[in-house]
Amino acid sequence: MVEESKSSVPIRFDDEAWEALAATTNANRCFQCGTCTAACPLADSTPMRVRALIRRAQFGETDPLIWKCMTCAECNASCPRGVDIVGLVRHLRQEKWRTREVPKGLPTLLWGIYSDGNTFHLPPKDRAAWMKDVKVPGRGSTLLYVGCTASYDPRAQRTARSVAKLLNLAGVEFQVMGTDEVCCGEAARSVGNVGLYDDLQQRNSDAFRKRGVERVITISPHSFDALKVGQSKYGGPQVVHYTQALEELVDSGKVVGTVEKRTVTYHDPCYLGRHQGVFEPPRRLLELSGLTLVEMANNRAQSLCCGGGGGRMWMETDPLERPGSRRVSEAAGTGADLLATACPYCISVFESERGSEVIPVTDVAELVASGAKG
Amino acid sequence: MRIVVCMKVVPRPEEVKVNLETKTLDRAGARSVLNSADMNALETALAFRDAHGGTVAVLSMGPPQFEPYLRVALAVGADEAILLSDRAFGGADTLATSYTLATALPKIGGADLVVCGEESSDGGTSQVPPSIAEWLDASQATYVERIVAGKDGTTVLATRALEDGKETVELVLPAVISVVVGSNEPRFIDYDRWAFAQSAKVKVLDFAALGGDPQYLGLQGSPTRVAGLREVRKPGRRRELVTVTADEAAFRIKAEIERVGRVRS
Amino acid sequence: MIDVREGGIWVYAERRGDSFLPVSLELMGKAREIADRLGVELTALTVGRDGGAGAQLRRYGPDHVLELAHPLLTTYDAKAYATAISAELRRSKPSTLLLGATRNGQDLAGRLAIRMRTGLTAHVTALELDDRQNLIGWVPGFGGGIEAGVSCPVRRPQMVTVKPGVFPLPESGTPTGDVTKVVPELSEKDVGSRRISFEPKGSTVDLTRAGVIVVGGRGTGGDFTRIERLAHLLGGEVGATRVATDAGWVERDRMIGQTGVITHPELALVFGASGAVQFTVGIEGANTVIAVNRDPAAPIFDHADLGIVGDLGPVVDSLLRALAA
Ligand SMILES: Cc1cc2nc3c(=O)[nH]c(=O)nc-3n(C[C@H](O)[C@H](O)[C@H](O)COP(=O)(O)OP(=O)(O)OC[C@H]3O[C@@H](n4cnc5c(N)ncnc54)[C@H](O)[C@@H]3O)c2cc1C
Ligand code: SF4
Ligand code: SF4
Repeated sequence: MVEESKSSVPIRFDDEAWEALAATTNANRCFQCGTCTAACPLADSTPMRVRALIRRAQFGETDPLIWKCMTCAECNASCPRGVDIVGLVRHLRQEKWRTREVPKGLPTLLWGIYSDGNTFHLPPKDRAAWMKDVKVPGRGSTLLYVGCTASYDPRAQRTARSVAKLLNLAGVEFQVMGTDEVCCGEAARSVGNVGLYDDLQQRNSDAFRKRGVERVITISPHSFDALKVGQSKYGGPQVVHYTQALEELVDSGKVVGTVEKRTVTYHDPCYLGRHQGVFEPPRRLLELSGLTLVEMANNRAQSLCCGGGGGRMWMETDPLERPGSRRVSEAAGTGADLLATACPYCISVFESERGSEVIPVTDVAELVASGAKG
Repeated sequence: MRIVVCMKVVPRPEEVKVNLETKTLDRAGARSVLNSADMNALETALAFRDAHGGTVAVLSMGPPQFEPYLRVALAVGADEAILLSDRAFGGADTLATSYTLATALPKIGGADLVVCGEESSDGGTSQVPPSIAEWLDASQATYVERIVAGKDGTTVLATRALEDGKETVELVLPAVISVVVGSNEPRFIDYDRWAFAQSAKVKVLDFAALGGDPQYLGLQGSPTRVAGLREVRKPGRRRELVTVTADEAAFRIKAEIERVGRVRS
Repeated sequence: MIDVREGGIWVYAERRGDSFLPVSLELMGKAREIADRLGVELTALTVGRDGGAGAQLRRYGPDHVLELAHPLLTTYDAKAYATAISAELRRSKPSTLLLGATRNGQDLAGRLAIRMRTGLTAHVTALELDDRQNLIGWVPGFGGGIEAGVSCPVRRPQMVTVKPGVFPLPESGTPTGDVTKVVPELSEKDVGSRRISFEPKGSTVDLTRAGVIVVGGRGTGGDFTRIERLAHLLGGEVGATRVATDAGWVERDRMIGQTGVITHPELALVFGASGAVQFTVGIEGANTVIAVNRDPAAPIFDHADLGIVGDLGPVVDSLLRALAA
């Protein structure tokens, strides 16, 4: 018997996988130009090649590198055919939950979300600890949705307090869910577990309805994206990011104030910018507070990902593969006094990359709050 | 092979309050979870079934409110669920608990392998698994990290985590094992099984259906008594903050180390 | 009402080869004290392939040493051991049996208690006698915050397993008591398991099971030699924050936290870590946390039982001196 040479092995086309792919994504639009490969920030530091990943998916194969994806959507933004590559990555991850081939640690993350309602495995009864001395009116149809990170992470709690303080200064009536709040589901969606994501959307929808919520203000862009997309299915409330809500308040003169004269550069979080198209409100907030904005070369839709999205907060990344340090250097290179952003993941990442050693890292709400008067 | 996993629903430790005057535990209003080590037991059983075939049933003793938790185990992958529920079973210590669970086994189709968690987070005795083994006259291995099938289906090989190393024993079936907490990563709920898990019948056995010897059941059948309760540590961190000289800091830290050191496992 | 004084106190002395575990000797010391108070006899029980080793136990004050020796008892098996021991318990009717709460001790006790249809108090950290002279064993529960005092007033022998290190190791003294060797009746069908291999504990790092962890963060500035000395003195392991492992100061498998290891030590000593949530989730399960940081506002102090505000260098030096003294 003659041994078949490797190259003559026929390519098998997995019809079932292809149909599932075509039904939930638009990956069949891809004409393999490779623009996305070049746009992907992982191309420099890892073997990730987005075009090849899509090709393999068309043959029913899953590139193990899908787990490194940060769902930053730099590829989506670059694709001439409008392929939703982030959607494809989530779809491929979802299939891996079926076959139980997911990275270590992710089932534990989901168990924590399922039973504790948060991504940290921390007690639900501590969820309102972020409030400390902040008083909340507890009335009205506006809800401040805090999210897991700003509820439990002491760094991000400061952002939540700043936003609450600004809403109070402006005399906005709003409520918070306190210990009843549960995860928005973005972490579950990003690692591909649609079942848990749907469950959380349902739980949140029920809670919003019970509380008569008509408008949700989120701290995290990840909650913003997940709730905005997820709640639309339920005809749910209007969902906005805090930078949008605060911009209105500052514009209408309900909050005023200036911070000492300094220059600031602003990092667009992927989920606020590329995913939801909110580029200007954070910039206007900074400028209305009297700060001078200096842009990085890669700004707005071209912003570079910090590396914290796509579930990467729960998967260890080799220091050489982390895009965060590059972004910190870029920010420092502008010569600005401060690096401001509007996402708790971005802040964690920049801080852990020792960002503050080269340029102090802060949050837009905190900057605005530091100078604000009612 | 038929595998039965014994699972307990436990209150979250941070939500249990002690009433120091009445010396009773107040679990009312405390949220519950499936005991952590029992999740590792379930994973061990499911992985074994997936590799060698067979069925996995989950068995629990407790009030009817436990039923939704057993449905979670079904959604994770168990084939059936049984709840032993009767006021007569209440107040059981490890002797009565293990008797009740062991007595139920023949009534629910028996088991070649019973898999438990190493201990529960509330009682923490780790005595139930070896006790079940004794009631059944079965072989046993506790603190197991891994099991593999034996040669001809009459044994399993169990690797136990001991203080000084890892021991692998060959266990004659039927056997009872207890699984070390954290020895594997429990698979998450499979939402494709959700509808099945919600509609499946959870078999409930009461005292009449169990038909055990009342002298070993519930509070009355329990030889141990809780003579007292005391709070050794306030819930949460103490958060004592001091600014002192280095020598004094060292003194304080050393005192703390000695306090902890008295109770080392 | 059953009276403890009716029978003697037995201690199960657990063997490793030809020597005995420290916890068994600790129990001998405590049991001698109780036996004297009650005016009853103390018997040390040991099980193995051969007799002989039991003579060592005479140095810890027993009235009797009982050796159960049989080829089927060569390696530990709960079923065989319980069969051999229960026969002796039935014959001599001691009122009390104490065992060390080791893994095999726990494994045996659970089986033996049922064989004897008696009550067992496990993982005891303190032992008292009540006014009817029943033993009350205090056991931690619910994550260690609450202790329950458990007794067994109506059945004998009352059985208790005690955690290692609860009682002091007694001095070895002049030999006392007699040694009796018994060959129990056992057959193959009494054996439930057979040891087929044993792999001694290696040098692999396993922070998940460490009892003491000394953690260094960025504040150490990379000086982990003193952190290692401290861990060594305390019989613990070195842990680190991600900043410290990123910098290459410590191996990656010592990183604690969200994307590192989740630990549950009795004691965590944390030097120069700010207390980012990605780190603190990894020490949430520690029984006691002590933190040293020069920033009084560092969030780590919210996660510490004792917080020391100050430069970590001199504190570590003083502590090393204090512990070495
Ligand atoms: C995706 C992701 C995952 C992560 N996972 C983990 C993880 O698993 N584990 C982890 O640890 N981190 C993790 N991090 C990083 C985490 O967010 C923090 O950046 C990190 O824990 C901070 O480490 P540190 O406390 O050592 O450093 P810093 O935050 O810089 O704190 C150093 C502290 O030392 C104090 N100090 C300095 N000098 C002295 C002195 N001489 N004496 C006393 N005190 C001094 C300072 O006051 C400061 O509080 C993760 C981050 C991301 C983005
Ligand atoms: S979303 Fe970002 S990380 Fe993922 S493939 Fe696209 S460009 Fe690469
Ligand atoms: S950029 Fe779009 S069309 Fe081009 S290879 Fe990538 S997905 Fe396909």
